Amino acid sequence: MNFIKRGLLGITRKKGKSLILLAVIFILGNLISGAISIQQATDNVESTIKERLGTAAMLELDYEAIEAMNESEMMELEISNIDIDLIKQIGGLSYVKYYDYSMSTALGSESIESYQGEEMEEENIIWDGPSMEFTLKGINYAPVIDFEEQKGKLVDGRVFTTDEVENGSAVAIISNKLAEKNNLNVGDTLTLDNAVYDYSETGEEELIASRDVVLEIIGLFEPQSAKEDKGESSDGGMMDFMDIDYQNTVYVPNEVVSSEQRYYWEEYVKFDEDYADMLVDDDDLEYYTPIFFLNNQEDTEAFKEEVMPLLPELYLVVNASDQYESIAAPIESMSKISGYVLLVAVIATVLITGLVVLLFLRDRKRELGIYLSLGERRSRVVGQILIEVMIIGLIGISLSLFSGNFLAQGVSETMLEADHDQFEEDTIYFNEFETDLTTDDVLESYQVKLDANYIIMFYVVGLLTILVSTVIPLTYIVRLNPKKIMM
Amino acid sequence: MILEAKDLNYYYQDGENRRYILKNTSASFEKGKFYTILGQSGSGKTSFLALLSALDSPHSGTVLFNEQDIKQIGYEKYRRNNVGIIFQSYNLIPTLTAVENVLVPMSITENELPEDKKTVAYNLLDYIGIVKSKADRFVNKLSGGEQQRVAIARALATNVELILADEPTGNLDEEMEQEIIDIFKKLAHEHQKCVIVVTHSNEIALQSDQTFSLKKGVLTTDE
Repeated sequence: MNFIKRGLLGITRKKGKSLILLAVIFILGNLISGAISIQQATDNVESTIKERLGTAAMLELDYEAIEAMNESEMMELEISNIDIDLIKQIGGLSYVKYYDYSMSTALGSESIESYQGEEMEEENIIWDGPSMEFTLKGINYAPVIDFEEQKGKLVDGRVFTTDEVENGSAVAIISNKLAEKNNLNVGDTLTLDNAVYDYSETGEEELIASRDVVLEIIGLFEPQSAKEDKGESSDGGMMDFMDIDYQNTVYVPNEVVSSEQRYYWEEYVKFDEDYADMLVDDDDLEYYTPIFFLNNQEDTEAFKEEVMPLLPELYLVVNASDQYESIAAPIESMSKISGYVLLVAVIATVLITGLVVLLFLRDRKRELGIYLSLGERRSRVVGQILIEVMIIGLIGISLSLFSGNFLAQGVSETMLEADHDQFEEDTIYFNEFETDLTTDDVLESYQVKLDANYIIMFYVVGLLTILVSTVIPLTYIVRLNPKKIMM
Repeated sequence: MILEAKDLNYYYQDGENRRYILKNTSASFEKGKFYTILGQSGSGKTSFLALLSALDSPHSGTVLFNEQDIKQIGYEKYRRNNVGIIFQSYNLIPTLTAVENVLVPMSITENELPEDKKTVAYNLLDYIGIVKSKADRFVNKLSGGEQQRVAIARALATNVELILADEPTGNLDEEMEQEIIDIFKKLAHEHQKCVIVVTHSNEIALQSDQTFSLKKGVLTTDE
């Protein structure tokens, strides 16, 4: 009849009290279980979505701060460019996997036709304005960061060499579809027009100057859009537009873009001297957009903290994962609610279970006194009570593990449906990171599951809560005086 | 000498005054004898027993068990291994059967006991007058006399030489009282136990081998 056996007998011989305690723990366990289920599910959403959003970081003007400026501040506002040295300094930080900085411009062509999408190919759309359908996208990272990040995939030829990038060689990588449409292959050349127009007086364009930009095709790429095979969606039009834009992108070394920009402004200034200032300082022409890819999602905050002091005034670091908050608003609100519910449930469990245990202990004062008068160690008396409560607790939380998870599924489904109904259409978020994630993607990744993480987490939280709620009233036993009870 | 109380002082602090329950109380007890400590209600006899059984500690003085200070032995350990205590209100655990109640101290003590504790417990109960069919009943299904017998069996279960009893017959009728006293006498004289019973009954005192009287905190012997 050691203390363990006494504990077990205590459960079976006092069925009524055991059932009351079991009921209390089961009810409170459901709250804890439900809250943890929702928390786990929202955490999964966060990690899944953030992983899909990627580790890209950009340096951006703080538009909110600029908008908040008053008129006099606006007048004095001088925004300096991010120079290449700073980009290289940031790119050298240990958090950065690789980085690039890019300069882009739009050019037209008379010798090749742009890709207009599968549906548009058969229609003849006549556009009589100046043709600027091709985006000349400069790169400094020779393997092309868009290919490394699976935005595009090289399907023929090769990427740039470092020498080509440094020397600004007239080489280009174009999309496979654009090549097919114009019967171009690797090794061929394509000619774009850098045309300078004036719109100033009549509103109609007038060609001022023009030169050919002859580029040797060294590689062909295909876009790797995640949404490509998903069929029609309500945002199909926007998706097509993005696809067409990318199919007409021509990758070249930054120096090629820079040289064409300079030609453009030099010619334009001849016509309109008001813009002569543009040519005074090279920095005004060379505006690069840097992008950094970090080694890990977890480095995001540390990267931000280290980079922010290096940036000129009014610049900030924007991470791809920053969009999570706006994309996953319904999930975030549910995560917050479940966090509060968990906190309240744990506190309520500690208080209510603690009080129930204390009441039961007072009821068993004489029994505990008997053990002490017989010379039983207080630690073993405490152990006996712990065994009784923890076994009942284990049964109670095991039952609530399943029911709480089931309840959480029901509750979160209702909440998500209510949130989702607020959106008339599937909302998609476009920005500089070119994310194709939608609210539907977020909601799809929300799944209340009975997985190992959840089970371990729930048992740890549940049993610890019950342990704390038992240990507090157990101080009652430590203070018991057997003489006062027995004599 | 199995047990010796030396210059025990025990008092209650009442503001700045001390109300002495025991004042320089000394007594010694031997094995094989049945002792009674006689006194009126409030005379301090229960407090004296509490000190002898290590349920309480004196403000000064010592209790020696086999010439060793029980404080040195450790009060808990002394109760666990050296003494069996019987209370007026039996103090049995109501959710356990009679035999389970006897088994409880057997699992607590560090004394060497036979392997088959359950058989020992049944035999002890049988010796005290509780047959097996009653031994398997929950104690609250037994009569007062039977419950006190179970309490005696529990006190004997750890094979101790010292039995202390606080008004063990206080809740029993005369016939039952005599049966219990006979058991104590038997334990002292046949099994060489030292049995000390606190009582207010002169009839019981008359049957003991030696009686101590406690009046106003002073212990005298009527040997």
